[in-house]
Amino acid sequence: MPEDYTPDVRTDYIAQMMDISLYLKRPSRMGDSKRMRMTSNFQWLLLTVLLLYLMNQVNSQKKRTPRDLKCITNNLQVWDCSWRAPSGAGHGAAYEVCFENGSHSCYRLEKNIKLPALLPGDHEITINPLHDFGNFISKFTLNEKNVSLIPDAPEILDLSADFSTSTLHLKWNDKGSVFPHHSNVIWEIKVLRKKNMEIVKLVTHNTTLNGRDTVHHWSWISDMPLECATHYVGIRCYIDDPQFSGRKEWSDWSPLKNISWSPASQTKVFPQDRVLLVGSDITVCCVTQEKVLSAQIGSTYCPLIHLDGKNVAIKIRNISASESSGTNVVFSVEDNMFGTVIFAGYPPDIPQKLNCETYDLKEIICTWNPGRPTFLVGPRNTSYTLFESFSGKYVRFKRVELPTNESYQLFFQMLPNQEIYNFTLNARNPLGQSESTLLVNITEKVHPHIPTSVKVKDISSTAVTLSWHLPGSFAKIKLLCQIEINKTNSVHELRNVTMRGIENSSYLAAVDKLNPYTIYTFRIRCCTDPFWKWSKWSNEKQYLTTEAIPSKGPDTWREWSSDGKNLIIYWKPLPINEANGKILSYNVSCSSDEETQSLSEIPDPQHKAEIQLDKNDYIISVVAKNSVGSSPPSKIASMEIPNDDLKIEQAVRMGNGILLTWNYDPNVTCDYVIKWCNSSRSEPCLMDWKKVPSNSTETIIESDQFRPGVRYNFFVYGCRNQGYQLLRSIIGYVEELAPVVAPNFTVEDTSADSILVKWEEIPVEELRGFLRGYLFYFEKGERDTSKMRVLESGRSDIKVKNITDISQKTLRIADLQGKTSYHLVLRAYTDGGMGPEKSMFVVTKENSVGLIIAILIPVAVAVIVGVVTSILCYRKREWIKETFYPDIPNPENCKALQFQKSVCEGNSALKTLEMNPCTPNNVEVLETRSTVPKIEDTEIISPVAERPEDSTDAQPENHVVVSYCPPVIEEEIVNPGADEAGGASQVIYIDIQSMYQPQAKPEEEPENDPVVGTGYKPQMHLLVTSTVEDLAADDDLDKTAGYRPQANVNTWNLVSPDSPRSTDSNSEIVSFGSPCSINSRQFLIPPKDEDSPKSNGGGWSFTNFFQNKPND
Amino acid sequence: FLLPAPLCLLTLLLPPLGLGAPMSPAEPISQAYSLALYMQKNTSTLLQTYLQCQGSPFSDPGFSAPELQLGSLPPAAVSFKTWHALNDRERLSCAQGAFLALTQHLQLVGDDQSDLNPGSPILLAQLGAARLRAQGLLGNIAAIMTALGLPIPPEEDTLGLVPFGASAFERKCRGYVVTREYGHWTDRAVRDLALLKAKYPG
Repeated sequence: MPEDYTPDVRTDYIAQMMDISLYLKRPSRMGDSKRMRMTSNFQWLLLTVLLLYLMNQVNSQKKRTPRDLKCITNNLQVWDCSWRAPSGAGHGAAYEVCFENGSHSCYRLEKNIKLPALLPGDHEITINPLHDFGNFISKFTLNEKNVSLIPDAPEILDLSADFSTSTLHLKWNDKGSVFPHHSNVIWEIKVLRKKNMEIVKLVTHNTTLNGRDTVHHWSWISDMPLECATHYVGIRCYIDDPQFSGRKEWSDWSPLKNISWSPASQTKVFPQDRVLLVGSDITVCCVTQEKVLSAQIGSTYCPLIHLDGKNVAIKIRNISASESSGTNVVFSVEDNMFGTVIFAGYPPDIPQKLNCETYDLKEIICTWNPGRPTFLVGPRNTSYTLFESFSGKYVRFKRVELPTNESYQLFFQMLPNQEIYNFTLNARNPLGQSESTLLVNITEKVHPHIPTSVKVKDISSTAVTLSWHLPGSFAKIKLLCQIEINKTNSVHELRNVTMRGIENSSYLAAVDKLNPYTIYTFRIRCCTDPFWKWSKWSNEKQYLTTEAIPSKGPDTWREWSSDGKNLIIYWKPLPINEANGKILSYNVSCSSDEETQSLSEIPDPQHKAEIQLDKNDYIISVVAKNSVGSSPPSKIASMEIPNDDLKIEQAVRMGNGILLTWNYDPNVTCDYVIKWCNSSRSEPCLMDWKKVPSNSTETIIESDQFRPGVRYNFFVYGCRNQGYQLLRSIIGYVEELAPVVAPNFTVEDTSADSILVKWEEIPVEELRGFLRGYLFYFEKGERDTSKMRVLESGRSDIKVKNITDISQKTLRIADLQGKTSYHLVLRAYTDGGMGPEKSMFVVTKENSVGLIIAILIPVAVAVIVGVVTSILCYRKREWIKETFYPDIPNPENCKALQFQKSVCEGNSALKTLEMNPCTPNNVEVLETRSTVPKIEDTEIISPVAERPEDSTDAQPENHVVVSYCPPVIEEEIVNPGADEAGGASQVIYIDIQSMYQPQAKPEEEPENDPVVGTGYKPQMHLLVTSTVEDLAADDDLDKTAGYRPQANVNTWNLVSPDSPRSTDSNSEIVSFGSPCSINSRQFLIPPKDEDSPKSNGGGWSFTNFFQNKPND
Repeated sequence: FLLPAPLCLLTLLLPPLGLGAPMSPAEPISQAYSLALYMQKNTSTLLQTYLQCQGSPFSDPGFSAPELQLGSLPPAAVSFKTWHALNDRERLSCAQGAFLALTQHLQLVGDDQSDLNPGSPILLAQLGAARLRAQGLLGNIAAIMTALGLPIPPEEDTLGLVPFGASAFERKCRGYVVTREYGHWTDRAVRDLALLKAKYPG
């Protein structure tokens, strides 16, 4: 206080000084302006000296008077004024202080004066030092504005610490009683830490003074555990009194108070077991006497913050959620470890989906979901309290050791006569709390228990009573129960029953409109009105209702037995809903006008009875009986009304079944009956029947017994008064299939160009559908060829006939080739597909007529020619003889051959039979090249085919043409008889040869062979050529022109037709004839090498045939 | 030894029969030895499970803090010479005292862990099983002492009032020491009983 006071006084003093100096400065400044014109440094100096002198004079005078009056107040009631004593005044100097405050009052005192607070405005104060210099009286003007308000330093009443929460509690008194009126106070509190007093907190705290002493509290939670270091706290204040116009200043700081933890000898880590919000920061310290080496949180090492002594701390920021056993913080020293556990988690989430309901109106069960996990377990786990505000009762949730995220639940005992409950569920854990509320009218939140003990009792065969137990006291509310009635193979039916709730929990309901003798399954569930939730379904209760008499007679039909003597009565078992019980037996009776026959007590599984009847008109009635009674009889007339114009129609299943339609017949009064059976069964055939009301004209027949590919017969009967009349007969399939077999077919007849095929019908069982036709394929082919396998590949050589006329059973295939193998295939088809195929190979017969013609015509021609020739020759035999073989040849008459001359005309070389130029023994030889001679077989080989080849061979040849005459002449001379014979045959051969040879030869030979012989030619067409010298000419002439027997000369020397020699003919020496031959002359003159091959081909022979064949 | 564990435990937990009649020590020694061997198989599992539930650094691989000890639990470590020089009474008394302390400490650790790790039923079950086995072994040792005609030391409350204010970290460390010492004492008991078994053959 004294230190602070001094500077304030000085400031006032300086302020006063400034006033004075300004006052002094003004005149000097005027003088200064005058002297400025002279501008002299000396004048400046002089002025300064003068100024200093004047100031000194003033000061010295002041020093002799009390000065610097300064007033302060700390309570606004008393002003404490002080002044500076005159310089000469001793310590014990006394002053007389007078001031005007309403009245003039003076005080005699030593140093300072405490005066009551003066009214606002200026007040004069005179201070007169009471020592020897009496004339130095100081006068001051005192105003409140010049007074400073400096409160006393506050005093800390108490500083305490809660180490567990690291909280400092500060307590002090505001001493408000000393202040006259209310005013605001600002407190400033500082917290210092460690021995070097680092400021860790500086806060202001506002209060008001209310005229009484008030103790104030301030608490502060340290970020560092208080055990870690010494904490110091100081406080000061500032009174902000609005009525006080003077200066207000902060008080001095209070004396510091400190908090420190007296460390025990052992090392400790702080804080221990702290529960924290995830993400917050915390400082952990280790108070120890040992040197801490490291610190870690979990497995993460942290930098050490050194505190006083060997204490260290670590700062953990943004801590993450702990596992259940907490997060370990461990400080390691040389040979030990110390630590603490931090539990970081979340405050409890608001309980979600809070729902309260009751099962029985006795107990309320509230369920909720805890929401976000808190990561805190064990003692830190969330505790729940369910509080009901109307009754003020509450229940606590017992901690579950294994917290699950499933819903939690609490039971609250219902209070009598309370329906509305206002529940508040409070969730609390060390980090905070939350709550959720629910206002519920519990009578609207009834979720009944599952109904139990369901029992069924008979009322009648169509009604029962159901009783069950539903725990709960529902006396004041209405219950709605649902009864589910399940019948086998039927949709389940739900019936609602509303009933008043009762206290004793037993309920009863009647269920009617049931079917007799039917197994029902009942189950029940209930809810309350207004609806909240259904209970679970009760267990199912099965019950069989009692029997009743059958409601209808059985569906009946009758058939006459095949011998027509017995009537077979069929009936169908009654459906369960008409039987109304177990059918025990049937009674059948047949009654006509005259008589009644009856069969009674036919046991149930039998649904057929046979009665011997004459063909009278009977009415048959069938009655079914169960344990309760008999059904009404079902009646049917035995008579069948004939119908003449019946056609058999066809039908195939469309969609679900076979649709049968018929025209409306007004005569039909009772009903229509459609009966059907498998067509392959014998009579009486009945698979089933169906009755259709008389007003309908169509029905669809469905049956599980229908099989695809099986033919069924359907008969539509119309019922008239007298009996049934067959209206329509239909055959049908539920599904057509392809035939399983091929039609059996045979070839009835074959000719050279046609085949007649006949086939059999396929049996109905194997047809498996309506026959739509046959497919007949045929083609040329042998049995072993495989091309028939690909019959249907659309090959063009396969001919197909589609026979759609199914009544056709034969087929003639015409335009075939004779003596050819044909492959025939037949298959049947239905709408279901093609059946398998059946094939057969047939060879057509030879075309006998053509063959015969081909043979007969040449034979006939030959015969005719022969006959004609013979006749001619016979007729002209004289002439012939005269001409060709006269007894005495008359050269004059040698005209018979002169007709040739015309042929040879133009050939200068031709001198045949021209007597004059014919000089005997003169032989003309032409050079020829050898070629292979060929013998034409006119009969076997077609002349058209052979001729060109022959001619090409012949083309390059130069035939040796020998003058015909000399040999003839020579021969004639030697052997006239032989010549005659040769001449006779020569005529024929000329003719025959002219059919062929001249056609080609004249074109070729005449050019090359000017001397071609046109006269006699041997039957052996030996085209011998030679490239020989003159010497060989004779032999050649002999060969070509000499007489030859018609024998095959080649066979004589050709060993085997296919021997190499025969082909390799160039080196072959061929000899014609035998030594004893008429041509034995040849033997003597061996032929040229080149000749022999040519002669090889001469003559018609088998060998020749074989040899030629390869050339073909 | 190869008997199913529950059956084995059941037989071992039966009070020693016929206290009056002197009994051959071989049979209880053999039974105790079998039980100790069986316990030995599970001690490391218990320690590992325990450490795994305490979080890092306890659950870090290779964690070991041999410096941690409990004043209320006698350490099993003993010099071989001292151990070998023990007579039957001392040997059995040591084991008796240790397993008595262990049963109480295991109970304490079980309680601690049901607060710290209520969601780890495996750990709690293993601690409970270890305590039951320790009790079983206690009974067997008592039977051996009876058979040998040795006085059975009275049961003491080794825990006293001290441990209840322990912090979570102290509890974790305490549990660690207990489960560790349980293993050490079991190992020692196996050796003790093997020695006795050799000494008193059946």
